Amino acid sequence: MGTKSSRAVAELEPEKSENGRELMLGLYRMLVKCRMCDEKARILFRQGKYAGNFYSGVGQEAAEVGAAYSLRQDDWIAPSHRDWTSNIIKGAPLKLCFAQLFGKATSPDRGKSTPAHMGYPPIHTITPASSIAGQLAVGTGVAFGLKKQGKDSVVVSFFGDGATSLGGFHEALNFAGVHRLPIIYVCQNNLWAESVPLRLQTALINLSDRAKAYGFPGISLDGNDVLAVYDAATKAIERARSGDGPTFLECKTYRWYGHSEIDPAKYRTKEEVESWKKRDPLVLFEKVLRDRKYLTDESKDKVAKDITQEINEAVEFAEQSPYPDASELTDYVWAQE
Amino acid sequence: MIEAITEAMAQEMARDDRVFVMGEDIGLSGGVFKATAGLYDKFGEDRVLDTPLAEGNIVASAIGASMVGLRPVAEIQFADFITPAMESIVQQASKIRYRSAGGYNCPITIRVCCGGGTGGGLYHSQENASWFVHEPGLKVVMPSTPYDAKGLLLAAIRDPNPVLYFEHKKLYRTAKGDVPEGDYTVPIGKAEIRREGRDMTVVTYGYMTPLCLEAADQMSRKGVEAEVIDLRTLSPLDRDAVLTSVRKTSKCLIVHEDKRTLGIGGEISAIVAEEAFEDLDGPIVRITGPDVPAIPFAPPLEHAWMVNTEKIVAGMEKLATY
Repeated sequence: MGTKSSRAVAELEPEKSENGRELMLGLYRMLVKCRMCDEKARILFRQGKYAGNFYSGVGQEAAEVGAAYSLRQDDWIAPSHRDWTSNIIKGAPLKLCFAQLFGKATSPDRGKSTPAHMGYPPIHTITPASSIAGQLAVGTGVAFGLKKQGKDSVVVSFFGDGATSLGGFHEALNFAGVHRLPIIYVCQNNLWAESVPLRLQTALINLSDRAKAYGFPGISLDGNDVLAVYDAATKAIERARSGDGPTFLECKTYRWYGHSEIDPAKYRTKEEVESWKKRDPLVLFEKVLRDRKYLTDESKDKVAKDITQEINEAVEFAEQSPYPDASELTDYVWAQE
Repeated sequence: MIEAITEAMAQEMARDDRVFVMGEDIGLSGGVFKATAGLYDKFGEDRVLDTPLAEGNIVASAIGASMVGLRPVAEIQFADFITPAMESIVQQASKIRYRSAGGYNCPITIRVCCGGGTGGGLYHSQENASWFVHEPGLKVVMPSTPYDAKGLLLAAIRDPNPVLYFEHKKLYRTAKGDVPEGDYTVPIGKAEIRREGRDMTVVTYGYMTPLCLEAADQMSRKGVEAEVIDLRTLSPLDRDAVLTSVRKTSKCLIVHEDKRTLGIGGEISAIVAEEAFEDLDGPIVRITGPDVPAIPFAPPLEHAWMVNTEKIVAGMEKLATY
């Protein structure tokens, strides 16, 4: 779980404040954790440890962490297929996250959903469907229900550039605008919807322009700058929580790998990929921390070592967990009174 | 029958403050058929919400609201226009519980006005209920009497699963009958024998029910006693009610207004063929709408589509010869 502070980074004056230092190191640890878990998930898939597929978010961690880090326990996330790590940011135990990849009976959905499609009810992450923009619409409904009940929880909805072309996206954002719903739409624009380039997806340069049509603010920002995303998201969360309605955040970023682990992504040029890898969100943020003397070689190693141990334990748990029994096929079709 | 539907919503909203209704033209105008008449004045905009013209979002909003503890009743103005909500109903509502292993539930009710015979033409006459019968996780009901209309709607709103509640518009003002003032439910998943008989079983639902009863009366004068089963719930089907009756009568006629191929009749036929083959003394007969895209507008064409008493009697006579 992230800090409960809802103050924006700028107000924290990180260079002067102990809170700011802790916050920045917390963001760093989460970035590293998401990167390492995601890379481990890819390795495990390639080793044949689990079937199905995996949708890596490596390269996009700053958008994911920056947007979700300051959420409260009672806030919600509506993730898409590339947001497996949003569960980690929101506080799901790593053991459950890896059990999810393996489709084991110990996963939150007992092996029903595919590897990357994870939700975990205790932390209010919605188990996603694979249909793009579907959970964005359901997440908007959750925001509608929260507002109707007078609660001050908010929803963060994650989706990519491709989702912005679907009718359900427009219906949901229109509704959220009409009712000033407590939701933050976080578009991780990674320039490619599977293999379709952005220029064939939309005539817009900035996807945040869409927000104007629904009557709420839209902001385009560097999605590889975790502080920029955190700052914008925290303000948007505060705005949503205080009843002022939705915000659309376009985080311009890039996925390093294919759409999924079986996609070699030959539709992109090496030059394009390399130019984005030079803007690795972790490296960018590491420089900020080193300049501030918040991070040393030793403390960096310690972060990686601790996470490695946690990942190893989680993978072992997942590997040793049983698969669901075949008799569970028909479980959870119907709710009883 | 429409008064029973309105009364069910009003009573449940008064009883349970988690219940609210939403849809197109349901608030200020009280609905195009006046199913929500008076609710806006009584409960206000917060609980009787006119939505943007976007069926997919009506259902998606209801799903999300139900996941945080509310009990939405969404209206789809015409079954013809339910298609934009297919993603929400089929990918989300029917699967959210399954895909989260019970972590999230979806207790929503979707009221759907449906059916032909009123000159509505291609896009104000469709039934489309069988689309949703194909999706486990969704319950599908369709009342034929005012008593059932109220009791089934109260049961639907209280059910922890997503329920599609189809209302045939021909029955809104033609179906008459006593409706208790108080609180009661009609169980979902239970068929009702509307008329007992020894010679053949007639399986039907919705607007076809009164037509089948009329046809059965005509056949009775010819010495053939038909047993008429009103399914009331299309999913999950009351297999026992159908099979028990067919085992008694040894004959099965299925009547529905919707298109023939892969309609409810196909499923009932299969169940009877699989489970009661040894008991049958004649072929399973279906009287249904034709395999034509939708109900056309010109009166002779619409008449040609619609199942009526004459067509049902003809089917009964054919089956009675075995």
